[in-house]
Amino acid sequence: MRKLFTIIVCKILKFVGGLIGKGSSLPGQIALKIYPNILGSIELPKYIIAVTGSNGKTSTVEMIAHTLCASGKNVVWNKEGSNQIEGVTTLILSNSTLSGKVKCDILLIESDERFAKYTFKYITPTHYVITNLYRDQLTRNGHPQWVYNAIKDSIHPETHLILNADDPLVSCFGYKKDNITWFGVDNIPTDTKEFDGVYNDGAYCPNCKSPMTYSNYHYDHIGMYECANCGHKRNDTEYTVTDADLEKGEITINDKYKITLSLKSLYNVYNILAAFTVASIVGVDKDEICKHLSNYVLKNFRVVTFTLGNRKGTLVTSKHENSISYNQSLKLAAADNEKSDVLIIVDAVSRKYFTSDVSWLWDINFDILKSENVKNVILAGTYCNDLATRFSFSQVQKDKIKVIESIEDAVNYLDNDSKEKIYVITCFSDKGKFLDKVKVD
Amino acid sequence: MKILHLYYDIMNLYGEYANVSALERIIENSGENAEIDRLTLGDNADINSYDFIYIGSGTEDNQKLVLKDFAKYKESLAQFIDSNKPVLFTGNSFEMLGSTITDCDGNVYEGLGLFDFKVVEQNKRRVTADIVYTADFLEKPIVGFVNKCSEIEGIDKPLFQVKNGIGDNSHSKCEGIRSNNFFGTHVTGPVLIKNPHFLVYISELISKNTSGFAVSDEHLQNETAAYEVTLRELTNRYAQ
Repeated sequence: MRKLFTIIVCKILKFVGGLIGKGSSLPGQIALKIYPNILGSIELPKYIIAVTGSNGKTSTVEMIAHTLCASGKNVVWNKEGSNQIEGVTTLILSNSTLSGKVKCDILLIESDERFAKYTFKYITPTHYVITNLYRDQLTRNGHPQWVYNAIKDSIHPETHLILNADDPLVSCFGYKKDNITWFGVDNIPTDTKEFDGVYNDGAYCPNCKSPMTYSNYHYDHIGMYECANCGHKRNDTEYTVTDADLEKGEITINDKYKITLSLKSLYNVYNILAAFTVASIVGVDKDEICKHLSNYVLKNFRVVTFTLGNRKGTLVTSKHENSISYNQSLKLAAADNEKSDVLIIVDAVSRKYFTSDVSWLWDINFDILKSENVKNVILAGTYCNDLATRFSFSQVQKDKIKVIESIEDAVNYLDNDSKEKIYVITCFSDKGKFLDKVKVD
Repeated sequence: MKILHLYYDIMNLYGEYANVSALERIIENSGENAEIDRLTLGDNADINSYDFIYIGSGTEDNQKLVLKDFAKYKESLAQFIDSNKPVLFTGNSFEMLGSTITDCDGNVYEGLGLFDFKVVEQNKRRVTADIVYTADFLEKPIVGFVNKCSEIEGIDKPLFQVKNGIGDNSHSKCEGIRSNNFFGTHVTGPVLIKNPHFLVYISELISKNTSGFAVSDEHLQNETAAYEVTLRELTNRYAQ
């Protein structure tokens, strides 16, 4: 009875919430109050696929869902991005029958990395994708090792892990386990032999703490690493990007399967590879996966194209407090042969909580913007002086940089007849403040 | 001027290298030459040949690893501090100078024992906060961020008074430790970038102990403007 009552309450709250446009975590929160073990009493489908990690969760989950749905699977997933236990509870109960059975082929769950251990206390994923572990929102996450320990507590021994082999810390989840599928990227043209970031989180082996060496870096500490002391090294991969032409926008998986990219960043390549791996494991035909993932444009509004007067532009949502996310966005602008002006906005550090900490700016490799492809760099928002200070320690040419605190003034400044396109690099917390002043395509 | 940045590649939670970059720039803008040595595990630093020493914050594991290596500097560092030369340790690096560190599993690690305080870590909750501290030697407050999982008891000469945020432990209104010109604080990241007045203060200590060069702060307009914004934002926030 209690189960039935809880499910009904959750469904009603979700319905009412939907009408008034409220968030998706409250119904689950109340359901958990009524019946804390409710998730343990629900009959779940054959496949329960969880996705966590610092970056790329939402995009990866969206691409998995898209591919599986397009190939005829019935998928329940948290598309609203509520990825803590309350949101997951809402998702499961609102898709459950009154008798407590989730009717679908696949339950796909994006999970917050720090809170996964609570969500997966009652649910045992059949497959668990871990994308990467970076310095991310350290003002609440502590540091990557702290997050690693939190995720470790969420892994059931019987769960099949799907791991990014190129991330030395993520690879540690594979220790003393044999039910693992590894994915990764082979040596590709954009690799570097030398480390080119501001800090190197791959300098020491995460397993034994001895100095670690890389034969190739894909970006930051992601690459082909090996520890001479304990033997911790990049595993051989079952799903592999064997070739990547980012300029052309095409990748090849396992020497055979070609996918064209709508977003030409290595970040996107990893998300696609993770989605390809999951869809293959679930049994979708690989050629069909390529068809669904080729030119796929994410609907999660992470990348938005817009028009400002006579100029075209792209806003690339980059996570504040996450230097690797920023580096990827900066590389996108710097590599674009169409010359560009780059606007960087740091107005509110986070949309979810208050902090004024800008230490993370010092971990970003802004030198990337010294590229000839970048004409002007405009720094805007409340923390524009912090940005200006940071840039004064970069190699970006001083005459390129302009500091304009007001976002509106920055938009007006860019509203001219220059031929260059515009890249806007900012976070969820600040992107609306720009997009409401331009015409979104 | 000779500056030592110890454990630069492993005690670097986020952006801490910039403390050394800030010092390098202010010294050079003051007409002096700044020579920076970045050393790490396994190196042997001639501690007393330097004019300033910096160590940043690390993960709990990395701090324990560094502690083993760091023990060799006990005598020379004590001498360095006794001679009034300036030292800055941010984040959990200064914990290594106390008597013991107890980790979340109850393992006890001996510190260098230059001070009597004791550190106890836990792994349940990350303690993080934006902070505003005051110090009797600075005209303006310090702003910054603390990111830790430890509590410290037994500091008798605190560095800062807590105006907003958290201190050494859940009941303390004090933070960090000062002894002569040794500054230890759990504030992490580029503290000297975010607090240009603290940068000038440390630079003047370096000057006093060396050639007596005149410290130039003319290049710090961006830093000062950024500091004022952060102080304003934090003050407003904590007034709510």
